[in-house]
Parts: sequence; structure tokens; C-alpha cells
Amino acid sequence: METSSRSSRPLQEVELTREELERYDRQLRILGFGGRAQSRLKKSTVLIVGAGGLGSAASIYLAAGGVGRLRIVDHGEVELSNLNRQILYTTKDVGKPKVEVASRKLLELNPEIKIDPIREEVTEETLPNMLKGTDVVLDCLDNFKTRFLLNRACVDGSKPLVHGAVYGLEGRLMTIIPGESPCLRCLMPRDPEEHEVIPVLGPLPGIVGALEALEAIKLLTGLGRPSAGRLLIIDGEDLSFYSVEVRSNPRCSVCGKRRG
Amino acid sequence: MKITVKSFATIREAFGGRGVLWIELPEGSSIRDLINALEKNYRPKIDLSRVGEENSNIKVLVNGREITYLDGLETKLRDGDVVAFIPPVAGG
Repeated sequence: METSSRSSRPLQEVELTREELERYDRQLRILGFGGRAQSRLKKSTVLIVGAGGLGSAASIYLAAGGVGRLRIVDHGEVELSNLNRQILYTTKDVGKPKVEVASRKLLELNPEIKIDPIREEVTEETLPNMLKGTDVVLDCLDNFKTRFLLNRACVDGSKPLVHGAVYGLEGRLMTIIPGESPCLRCLMPRDPEEHEVIPVLGPLPGIVGALEALEAIKLLTGLGRPSAGRLLIIDGEDLSFYSVEVRSNPRCSVCGKRRG
Repeated sequence: MKITVKSFATIREAFGGRGVLWIELPEGSSIRDLINALEKNYRPKIDLSRVGEENSNIKVLVNGREITYLDGLETKLRDGDVVAFIPPVAGG
């Protein structure tokens, strides 16, 4: 019976409720997306590391789009200086733990999904548990050091990682598919200098975070072609976008060995 | 010949916030010559001496192509070329 209903009522087989069919109606209409892709999103878990400017935009779009489970990691509280770009939070949230506010807001947006808020620091020790059971990982961090920890953990654990970063009016994005495409260490062989406070104009993490969500949805559904081996560089000053080829470094200290 | 130089993030700041610069170079100049000329003419508040080395984090593009896949620092420039200096960034 299930089989016979497939051709006449294609949406019946994917276990989407009537409400979900209405909620996701506009994306279900995308050619090549449909109920199958939506059902894959529903069954997926995405880890969002960092609930700042990038994490705000990315999590809002992933929640809205119906990713079944979002695990959001951040050990910080909302600060007034976050509010120019961290669009999950409002003035009355200042002082509250970010992941708690994020969880509540995202569930208000979409009560059909599940949120795992994790208020922990990202370390070599905490990462394995955070990664467990996830399908795609989003780098929404604000420093190089933790990014390299995450990069290594994702390469070792074969988790697709979407890297995003911003500075001023600029953005960067690259997707890392372990075993197939260059990793963050191939991109940055040395430890770059860290900056305590980084200048950022609000729309930039919005743009890059939204692109990270787009990459995650593509990876989860098989739609399109991810930006693996291609670094997207956005210059908001003259609105130019560069997609630059990045090759795997055979001597990369993180992914070089895996490739053999 | 006239070369357009686009700088990004911390390198842009080192050039006083000017994202685009133009520089005159003799015919046949390379990326190495361009870097020397930039240091001499603009005195950026950043050390460009290791830019373009194999393990540098700073990407140097000529008309959108990274010099690692051209001739590295010896990549020859032509009139009208656009050279971009792009460091990694970490904000979120």
C-alpha cells in the first residue's frame, strides 16, 4: 500500500504532518527538493558551535527550515555589545546564557524541532561528546584556536564541517568534507595571530551564517554542490564575491595522513 | 604598467583602511617586485616579507587565481592586473 501510494501521493511516504507540509510549503515546491529532502532534514542533527553572530543566523534558518535536531554550543552570556549582530537576542536578554535564550527563541519559531542547548566550553575533551550523533557541523566560532580544535575533531570523526568567519565588512566560507576536500589546516598552515576583539558589521555574520545554513541543508539533502575545496571570500565594501580554489595539502598535519 | 591592489581585513588596516591601491611598476615585474614596491611606497604596518611563501596563511590572487597555482612570488604581472592580498579572519 505504501508503495502504490508513492506515485499518486508522493508526500505521504515521508512522515510529514499536515502542519509541516504547510510550514515548509515554499521549500517543498523547489524542484529537486520536495518531501524527500524535507524528511531527510527532519531526521538530521546539526551541531552549531558558537551562538554568536554566525550561530544566530545559521540556527534561525536551520530551525525555520525544519532540521530535526539542533545542538547549540556556547558557554557565554548575552552582552550588550553582541546585539549589533547576534540577532537571536534582544536587549532584555543581556546577562542570560546564550544557549538558553537561543533554545527558547528557536522553539518559538519552530516547535516541531528539538534543540539541545550545551553550555560548555569547546575543548579537546568536550568535543567528542558534542559531535556524537551529528550529521553536519557548523563552525560559528570567534577565534582560530577553537576552530582548529573543531577542524581536527571533525576530520578525525569524519564529520562534514562548514567553516564561516567574518571581519569588518568581510566574510569567509568553506565546506570541509573529511577525506575528500581540504581542511582548515590546508587553508591556514600556521596559527594566525588572535585578536581579542574583532570588528564586525552586523549584516556580515548574517550573510555568512545564512550561507552556512544553506551549505548544511545541501549536505543533508544532497541538493546542489557544496563549497568544498573552494573558499568564498566576501567583500562587503564593494560587494564582490570571490570563490577561490583551495587544494589539499598532502603534508597537512591534520588531514594529510587520512588521504594517504 | 598599472596594477590594482586589493587588500583585505588586517592587511587593509595596515594600509590605512584603503581597500584598493594603484601602483606603477616597470614592465616584467613580478609579485615579489610588487610586494617590495608596496612596502617602499606605502610602508604598511604589517610585515609582507613572508607573503607568498608556500606555508603563508595570506592568499595572494592575481585576477582571482591564487599565485600558488601560478608561479608563486615569481608570477609575472601585466598592465591592468588585479592583485588581492587576503589574510584569514576569525570573527563570528
